[in-house]
Amino acid sequence: MAKRQKPLKAPDKLVFLLSFVPYLLEQRVVAVSEAAQHFGMTEDEIRDAVRLIATSGLPGSTGTYQPNDLFDIDWDSFEEDDVIIVVHHVAIDDAPRLSAREAAALIAGLQYLSASPENAGSASLASLRSKLTVGASAAPSRLAVAETEADESLALIREAVAEGRQLEFDYLNARGERGRRRADPLRIISQDADWYLQAYCHTREDVRNFRVDRMSDLVLTDEPIGDHSGRTVPDTLFQGSESDLDVVVDVEPSALPLLRDYLADSTRQEVDGRLRVTLRLAHVHGLKRLVAGLPGLVTVVAPAEARAAVAEWAEAGLAGYADREASDGRR
Amino acid sequence: MIARVAGGGRAGEARVPVEDRLFSLVLALLATETGLLKSEILSSVRGYAERYDEGGQNANLERQFERDKDDIRELGIPLETVESPDRPGDNQALRYRIPKGQYDLPDEVRFTPDELALLGLAAEVWREASLSADSQRALTKLRSFGIEPREPVIGYAPRLRVRDAAFEPLRQALDRRQTVRFRYFKPGEAAPRERTVDPLAVVLHEGRWHLHAYDHDAQGPRTFLLSRIVGDVEPLPGRTFEAPPPGIQDRILAELDELRLQNAADLAVTAGSDAEVRLGRRAVLRDEDAGVIRLHYTDAAVFADELAAYGPEVRVLGPASLREAVRARLQAVVEAHRNGGAA
Repeated sequence: MAKRQKPLKAPDKLVFLLSFVPYLLEQRVVAVSEAAQHFGMTEDEIRDAVRLIATSGLPGSTGTYQPNDLFDIDWDSFEEDDVIIVVHHVAIDDAPRLSAREAAALIAGLQYLSASPENAGSASLASLRSKLTVGASAAPSRLAVAETEADESLALIREAVAEGRQLEFDYLNARGERGRRRADPLRIISQDADWYLQAYCHTREDVRNFRVDRMSDLVLTDEPIGDHSGRTVPDTLFQGSESDLDVVVDVEPSALPLLRDYLADSTRQEVDGRLRVTLRLAHVHGLKRLVAGLPGLVTVVAPAEARAAVAEWAEAGLAGYADREASDGRR
Repeated sequence: MIARVAGGGRAGEARVPVEDRLFSLVLALLATETGLLKSEILSSVRGYAERYDEGGQNANLERQFERDKDDIRELGIPLETVESPDRPGDNQALRYRIPKGQYDLPDEVRFTPDELALLGLAAEVWREASLSADSQRALTKLRSFGIEPREPVIGYAPRLRVRDAAFEPLRQALDRRQTVRFRYFKPGEAAPRERTVDPLAVVLHEGRWHLHAYDHDAQGPRTFLLSRIVGDVEPLPGRTFEAPPPGIQDRILAELDELRLQNAADLAVTAGSDAEVRLGRRAVLRDEDAGVIRLHYTDAAVFADELAAYGPEVRVLGPASLREAVRARLQAVVEAHRNGGAA
């Protein structure tokens, strides 16, 4: 079943109508409810579409629409039984081809999925890609995503999620603390190159995000996971909490998109050609890594402790080079 | 039953919804072999005909038709323009049609429930609005077969974000084969420089979006990092170029991989640190006792940024240029945060 939240724009509605007609022809007899479920629409939207299609057709030579040039449906079935039967159709019987952009978006999405164990199944990437290419009205846009190797742990974690079994693993958190955890795996979520497990942590007694590359020595236990149906698994990776740190930074305007996930609000103030914004992070450990990884682009303004923490982090890094140069010199 | 629907949609009725007009236009253009004249379309197709002025003042309607044509083509529907053999160059004699053979999804393009489930997951990958909309439209078209995808994979949500503002305008330029102009900040240069390029492919490699393009200033192909494009990507009206060979995007990915293998760095990583865990995954050689790993990288400047983030957890042993790049970055961070002012 398809799902959809946002209202459709006119071109999307057109695509739906052009796809709905061949669907109705293929099905021959279909209930409004079934069609609604298949296309992820409401039953009212389906009924409106049926009425629109049933009054559509081809303009005749005299400039008026004549009955034989129109679609027609079995109105009795439709109005009395909520069942759609097309009894006369014109002009179209097949689905439209994909656009170059549509095919490219799916192909690139598939390439990204190649990193995941899911792709090892019966549906092969190469055959899907060639079908999408044949199905496009023009060569798919030249867009590609490099295939990367799946993290070894991912397959085991997938199994744990699918089978609802508890996992045990060593975890190194962002503060640099290592510990053995037992967790009920709930969902795997990825963001770009990073994979996370969202799980109920028995140690913390709450839902936590675990970064897969920080998990090691995984053991898939035989213990079933608990019932977490009452718990909401957050859709985003960063969850706010009372201990969050608000930090004021100056950022090069071109680098602002890189901080998008951390912006506390939409306030922007221009200061000497840079933008002054407030970031919200879980702790200073994340901040120092973030700022040092965007050297020259982001400067912490306040609070002073955060500014000092970043400076200390970079100084400690720099010291590694000073020592080595000194020892090289002594040799 | 037919009587009440036929002929009812004419004069005096409320404005025809946009999708109704577009649908009627597609039907009319698919049904015609020889094509329809613009005047025939505007005077007869539902959505236009109601507003058609026999007296000839139809400028608004004509503009509407131009926009509708663009919208329809954007959806991958092959709307053709045919010139009159008798009156070449005469716009009023142009005919429009959609050849059915090029419209219909070919018969061999059919998908199994497993494949549809995977395509559904692929569509969910995109968080970015236009890629997401394109994927969803593709799925709608594939739903016409009436095949239910295998139950979606639960507890599995892979996602890819596109954070570079240049991405969407470049993707459009790729499709339209449109020459564009932008300012590019090359590492090691003091200021951004303007480039005029023909975009040939856009690829994601090592977590970064790259543009491969023909650079008119350098008179040769060049690869750009989208994150270093400064400001707007400006299409140059009327300047288009020939389509690059198919599969160029795969060739570029292969080239970037080759480039990556040519660069190797030796890094000392602190045991038990985030750097050891994360960089260690990408190591091609490791000396456990010395805590040294070797890994490949594509772009020294990008890799130096990444390494600087690890602060004291990683120390570059070589090559010297990378070592200096990381040292200079850490120095810059220290200076920006130790001086009195807000830098």
